Amino acid sequence: MDEFSSRIAAYLEAKMPAVSNVEVSGVSRIHGGASRETYRFHAAWEEGGAKKERALILRRDPEASLIETERDLEYNAYKAFHPTGLPVPEPLFLETETKWLDRPFFVMEQIMDSQAASPFSPDPFGELKDKLGEQFWRYLGQISGADPDAIGFSASMEPVKPEACWKRELDKWEQVIDEDELTPQPIARAAIRWLRQNPPPPPKKLAVVHGDYRTGNFMFNGAGDITAILDWEMCHLGDPLEDLAWAADPLWAFGNRERPAGLIAREEALRIWQETSGVTFDPRAFKWWEIFAAVKGLAIWISAGKEYQSGANRDPVLAFSSWYCTDVHNRLLVARMAELREEARK
Amino acid sequence: MKPVVDNVLQGCFATLLMEVAPHLGAEYSVGDVSVMGLMLFMSAEEYDRAAEVRTEDNSEMRSIFAEAASQIEDAELRRRLGDASDMRDTSLRISALDKINDALKALLIDLQTYLEGQSGDWAAHMERRIWKHLSASAERRKLPHPAM
Repeated sequence: MDEFSSRIAAYLEAKMPAVSNVEVSGVSRIHGGASRETYRFHAAWEEGGAKKERALILRRDPEASLIETERDLEYNAYKAFHPTGLPVPEPLFLETETKWLDRPFFVMEQIMDSQAASPFSPDPFGELKDKLGEQFWRYLGQISGADPDAIGFSASMEPVKPEACWKRELDKWEQVIDEDELTPQPIARAAIRWLRQNPPPPPKKLAVVHGDYRTGNFMFNGAGDITAILDWEMCHLGDPLEDLAWAADPLWAFGNRERPAGLIAREEALRIWQETSGVTFDPRAFKWWEIFAAVKGLAIWISAGKEYQSGANRDPVLAFSSWYCTDVHNRLLVARMAELREEARK
Repeated sequence: MKPVVDNVLQGCFATLLMEVAPHLGAEYSVGDVSVMGLMLFMSAEEYDRAAEVRTEDNSEMRSIFAEAASQIEDAELRRRLGDASDMRDTSLRISALDKINDALKALLIDLQTYLEGQSGDWAAHMERRIWKHLSASAERRKLPHPAM
């Protein structure tokens, strides 16, 4: 075992007192996890006289990231949803001590025989799109309809009143733009002014918001089954329309508004989500969250660009996402904002 | 004959993706090389158009400022708009054009915010002009993207 593998093995042995001779092999960093370093590996050990083994994932805090998040939020989200039947990896260990691997991390089950699709592909799902689409929107409906208190999700979350959901999120992402913009952003700024002048109605009830539910953040197998909903780093309590609008943002569908997420038709997606979540779709509120989604996206891409340019993190993914996604979101947002300002003047 | 820069960058993109990436052992390195290749592809387009995109942006904003300065009531904003509309791009270096572009965009935000608070046909017309410019600017910067 190399040094990193040995350190993981030592950790696992400490966390599982009944086991011995832990061996870790095949450690490989997975590409694309710009907010957290993600490694797959294979662990084998002896337990009660028998040899056992398991494929695992380790998610370690980076030195700088695309999104500043707390790893315990993501871990606790897996913990809350794993027993509900929503396809998420089984969370195993959360470690905040830095003595093991220099930075905090958590360990979870590795989902086998599955893949995530690139959101930057014109047709990432091919003939599986109908089957996956039904599941994608149904699972989002399950998340939106879940009782955050009953499943233990709320315990680790910052509380928020329904009427304050929109403002908390907008304040947060505007601050990111304030702090990280490398160049003035007239389109984002105009959108933020519009969002503040036209607040949405509050949600009927607070919901679990995944925060980054989209193409690229779920895994599926060759039979067209979604096997895991991943990347819960930005989860919080809030308005369920926030997730719906983010998932339906045209950035994740190669610009196609009619087949959000590159899956099934928009009307059908909304129908499935409403039916599963029990939440009534409010077009006026949704419009607000759609504009917000683009602003939040721009904030993330702007922040990624700052990280890269400052040298805090030279992962090429940060430069690419900042460059390409800012371009797409600006083009998407400028058309919407021009229309909304025309409406405002009538 | 000499190699043209955008052609060289496109060549590097193809070599990285088709020759280098398949021979790399580490999963993460393959991903990095693919993303770097894509950025070379985008850079090839950017190399050719970068100065034009910025000079067109700057020219359009100055034209908007010149028109706005003729009618705006806020004296301080009118002075700033007048000053900006009189400036010219004296260097075609991208860094110099970007510096001016940043200053003009900051002023554009102030003007747009001001206009949103004004009623009447003139304010509506000026706001429309700004959105037309922002739309054209975003379109000029549209990146080519080979499907991944």
